[in-house]
Amino acid sequence: MLYLNKVAELAASAIQSGMSLSSSSFPGLPFADLSRELSDKIDQLPIELNEYGYDPWGFNPDVLKTSMMTAAILYRHYFRVVSVGLDRLPPRRMMLVGNHAGQIAFDGAMVATAMLLEASPPRLSRGMGEYWLATLPWLNVLMDRMGHSIGTPSTCAEMLNRDECVLVFPEGVRGMNKVYADAYQLQDFGLGFMRLALETNTPIVPFAVVGSEEQAPGIANLESVAAMLNMPAFPITLTWPLLGPLGMVPLPVRYHIEFGQAMHFEGDHNDEDDAISRKVEEVKDSIQSMLRRGLAERTSIFL
Amino acid sequence: MKRLLITGISGGQGRLLAKRLSEGWQITGVDRVPWEGAPEYVDVKTLDLRKKKFEDVLRKNRPDAVVHLAFVRHFRGSNKLRHEVNVAGTRRLLNSCARYGVKQVVVLSSAYVYGALPENPMYMDEDSPLNVARNFPDIRDLAEVEGLVSSFLWRYPEISTSILRPVNTLGYYVHSSIGSYLGLDIVPTVTGFNPMLQFIHEEDVCEALALAIEKQLRGVFNVAGPGAVPLKTAIHEIERRRISVPEPLAHLIIRELFRFRVYDFPPAAMDFIKYPCTVDGSRFVKATGFKPLFSLRDIFASVA
Repeated sequence: MLYLNKVAELAASAIQSGMSLSSSSFPGLPFADLSRELSDKIDQLPIELNEYGYDPWGFNPDVLKTSMMTAAILYRHYFRVVSVGLDRLPPRRMMLVGNHAGQIAFDGAMVATAMLLEASPPRLSRGMGEYWLATLPWLNVLMDRMGHSIGTPSTCAEMLNRDECVLVFPEGVRGMNKVYADAYQLQDFGLGFMRLALETNTPIVPFAVVGSEEQAPGIANLESVAAMLNMPAFPITLTWPLLGPLGMVPLPVRYHIEFGQAMHFEGDHNDEDDAISRKVEEVKDSIQSMLRRGLAERTSIFL
Repeated sequence: MKRLLITGISGGQGRLLAKRLSEGWQITGVDRVPWEGAPEYVDVKTLDLRKKKFEDVLRKNRPDAVVHLAFVRHFRGSNKLRHEVNVAGTRRLLNSCARYGVKQVVVLSSAYVYGALPENPMYMDEDSPLNVARNFPDIRDLAEVEGLVSSFLWRYPEISTSILRPVNTLGYYVHSSIGSYLGLDIVPTVTGFNPMLQFIHEEDVCEALALAIEKQLRGVFNVAGPGAVPLKTAIHEIERRRISVPEPLAHLIIRELFRFRVYDFPPAAMDFIKYPCTVDGSRFVKATGFKPLFSLRDIFASVA
């Protein structure tokens, strides 16, 4: 396969899916308690399923129970995530908006795990995937079954109108694949999420992830190589591509995730870019200040 | 009694609809193939939509309403035949409708006109682009038919014209592409793909057509059934065996099988078992109060 980034995504999802690691069917194995906890939380999700156990977009809780197990293990035992602010989530529809970093989207997986394990009631955060993900065998199915979808505005609006929780990284690859010199500096935000929030009258919950930048510090992003290989980015890190696939294993940093106060915006979703942009800046400022505070309070990257 | 003309009456949907509307309507039907043992309340004329004689039916009968079901939906014939029957036939029918004072026209299209593309949103509404021609030239004619009917709709505001786009239709009487695909002894799927598919029972499509007539509907409407399931769940529920074929191989095999007419699906149809083509049926529900009678389980049981 040509697209290394896709390979990376696949690997991440394979790790995340970790079908073989699932201990729900093997009581007595390590993580049996965690597996039970995850399973209970998923059963509490406020999502209506049809007679075959699927929601309208293809989500299936049984698949989620096994596929989130690795993320849950990473959450509790590898990144040892400390999440705060989950007690102030709005009760119904919401849009989670935060910073993106770390070459591979472990930050998304950790936020989603926090929403499952620590929020009350547990919530399913639905990611909005790139179009080309739909063309990848297996991954496209796994994505649907885990409650995510291809990120078209109308699907996103439909989900929000049905009081779902949507997870957005407005920086996209600009944030994920930046170099370490730019760590924790928010890159340009897209405006689409704000238009959707206005259209569907959805509160925005800003969140800040501290730790993701150090999991795989980017030394460079070879944009010309990326363009040549038709990939969104070609990052160089301390370990990648030096150590090959092993180089994709993140460093065992500690994650801190802060969920901020929900922000309510009003206005015309078809307004000019400038007007939308001002609202987006408010969200960005809120995330940046949480990041600043989180970094100041952090005593160690790893402990 | 008001008069109704049904084109393609000998097909499964035509027969169901004739029965459903037999109470309040005086029904005339036309079809290229005869309807053996047609009930006496239907006057069936065996003739070709493309022939001059067809116009005489409208001239003599002066129907109040026309339901257009006469489409070639399979790929067994040539593209030329499809185009002639579907596009030229529809054009001729619409012209006659305008000329002979028809007050209402209902055309049975399908949700396939949106096409199955990787970047499709889930649950597309009626304003979504008709992308099917982009990757599936074999059914380009369906999009052309829609174009003809919608310009007719705007050109003749005094005629209540409606287009219905039902999702995958299954049932005992109706022969659909999805029906014959799911009816194969061993159903091939593409490795690593399992899209959500919406289904509707043929009787519910019939009910939707009847509602469109009774409520004098005007406009374009998706008709969604009771819900969606992954393709493999549907195959399992219909109790068929399944074989998973890796994509490059699947493409090659289907192309060759289609070329020698062993298999009725052109390779481009493969997108419909890879990517979603799901529609939002709420506009039709709002306009008519339609509620599908058959659940997903009922639908699968009816063809298992």
